[in-house]
Amino acid sequence: MVDFMQFAINGILVGGLYALVGVSIVLVFKATQVVSLAHGQLLAFGALFFWIFLDQLNFPVWVALLGTISLAALMGFITERFTIRPLIGESLFTAFLMTFSVFMFLDGFFQLYLSGQSRAYSPFLPEGTFNLSGVIISKGLLSSFTIAMLIFAALFAFFKFTRTGLQMRATSENHILAQSAGIGVKKVFTLIWIISSAVVAIGGIACANVMDIHYPLPYIGIKGLIVAMFGGLESIGGALLAGILLGLIENLSSGYLDGPLGGGVKDAAAYVILLLILIVKPYGLFGLKKIERI
Amino acid sequence: MRPCGVFDETYEKDIAIVRTRGHWLLLIGSLLFLFILPLFAPYYLLNLTNNIFITVIVVLGLQIVTGCCGQISFGQPAFMAVGAFFSAVLTTKFGISFWIALPLSGIAAGLVGLIGGAPSLRIKGFYLAMGTIAIFYLTMWVITHLHITGGHQGLSVESPSIGSFVFDTDERIYYIILIITIILTFFARNLLRSRVGRVFVAIRDNDLAAEVMGVNTFYYKLLAFFISCFYAGIGGSLFCHWYTVVNSEQYTLIHGLNFIGMIIVGGLGSIPGVFFGVIFLRLLDELVLFGSPFLTELIPKLGIAPAASLGVMVFGLVLIIFLIFQPRGLAHTWEILKTSYRIYPYKN
Repeated sequence: MVDFMQFAINGILVGGLYALVGVSIVLVFKATQVVSLAHGQLLAFGALFFWIFLDQLNFPVWVALLGTISLAALMGFITERFTIRPLIGESLFTAFLMTFSVFMFLDGFFQLYLSGQSRAYSPFLPEGTFNLSGVIISKGLLSSFTIAMLIFAALFAFFKFTRTGLQMRATSENHILAQSAGIGVKKVFTLIWIISSAVVAIGGIACANVMDIHYPLPYIGIKGLIVAMFGGLESIGGALLAGILLGLIENLSSGYLDGPLGGGVKDAAAYVILLLILIVKPYGLFGLKKIERI
Repeated sequence: MRPCGVFDETYEKDIAIVRTRGHWLLLIGSLLFLFILPLFAPYYLLNLTNNIFITVIVVLGLQIVTGCCGQISFGQPAFMAVGAFFSAVLTTKFGISFWIALPLSGIAAGLVGLIGGAPSLRIKGFYLAMGTIAIFYLTMWVITHLHITGGHQGLSVESPSIGSFVFDTDERIYYIILIITIILTFFARNLLRSRVGRVFVAIRDNDLAAEVMGVNTFYYKLLAFFISCFYAGIGGSLFCHWYTVVNSEQYTLIHGLNFIGMIIVGGLGSIPGVFFGVIFLRLLDELVLFGSPFLTELIPKLGIAPAASLGVMVFGLVLIIFLIFQPRGLAHTWEILKTSYRIYPYKN
């Protein structure tokens, strides 16, 4: 039972981070209908910027965080302005391929900067573990999870209570109607990319704090895509639930099955889930089912 | 390529692939050139050509399923791996000759591809792309966890042979690869002109409309996947018998992304586009490989071996440029050139 609790709690905590990555993809999809692969790189670069500010330039944590968020926002802005904007009017599939090209382009820079090494943050979150009747919980992971949840709360509030949030929700319903109601759809696009890059950068910092900055970091973006599709590409709450569920399932299955099956179950489990979701419920838990017309 | 004023007068002429005497001369000339290439080409060039031809085979398959049928697949390397390992296991563990193992490995990869294509019953576009990524990971996971495939170490394979003649050098295996590439290119070209090819294009353009017209879309989507994975399996089998070693490291998701990039650069849905795309991106890779030492001398901060990361960077940049400025790829540029030659001295 202690084993089970251990796996489950770790899974939920990691799942919170996945959810953060997933929700940034959901944000972009909701507003622009573009599914973004580029977020994997935005995540990795967020983690990298934070490392540069914190460990290379020795800034205090808050300055480093602000600097990272503004740089990530800038990257999001540039990505939207120079790669997605020229494709307005083209098929969404082209836009998907474009985000994939951006992923590859940035991947080159990321690899070049790392040149095969891995980087770890000097500790900036509470360290150590505490013991909850046999279940060991890492304080670093717990604080990352808390940050993730705070960001979720902030996002919910933003969309629920602010004027810009309302404009964004309107845009995600229907671009043309939103435009005729006086909403600057292009401005909303830019803004949503900026917000989502900032969110995913924070997710990147939280992930890198748990697993260091090393080459496969951008591929957490694919985990984020799985989360987004699991929860439904239109649903922020769905991303939260799906992220936690994914973390839970991954950790439980790797905890129990890694021994008998010989390792690597964690990733395989994520992809089995993805495949099952795609076959059984293609639009995710809370996604909108699209009805097509000819 | 026909100059102005040459018209088709009979139906046979209209449907011919090779249209004029000039065409025939060009075709035979270039084939002859390809057949005598090993006599004078240096080792490096031959190695590159072999690699290009195998990539062409695999990307032809991808062109059929993604470019023509509109079902995007990132899983092509996994099907290559299935073909490679199947052929390796057949030849080393069961002592079956390469010539039988080659088509069998294509069929095996095709059958695995049917599983990969099964989700296309309910999903399409980006969702299916994610599904193929899942299929990729699961296939590779199974391959590295089986005993018969040698796990992560992989297997070493023998070169193909006829009697006592062993195709063990680059020059010798070049001929096998070349002939198979020619056959498969011809097959793909003709397939797209046939009823099946037109159904593929109909599904790509609007699958609902195709279904309303009475097309069994699921059957044809699966068929596209089967053919595509058959190509991948053949490519994988050739690759492993050329390298005489097969392991899971040779087939990564990055390759799948590269293949997609090749058909974007070449032009979706066009067979000559496959050749344009593969050759363009491969030569670009080589250029980066040659150029990076000079770049490192200029800017020493780049580190010791920037070639791999620079390659990825340039690849991404080229894709971005193509998607913005020429989303229909090099094949479209080629068509424009052909048309302007045809209507010369007028301009369009």
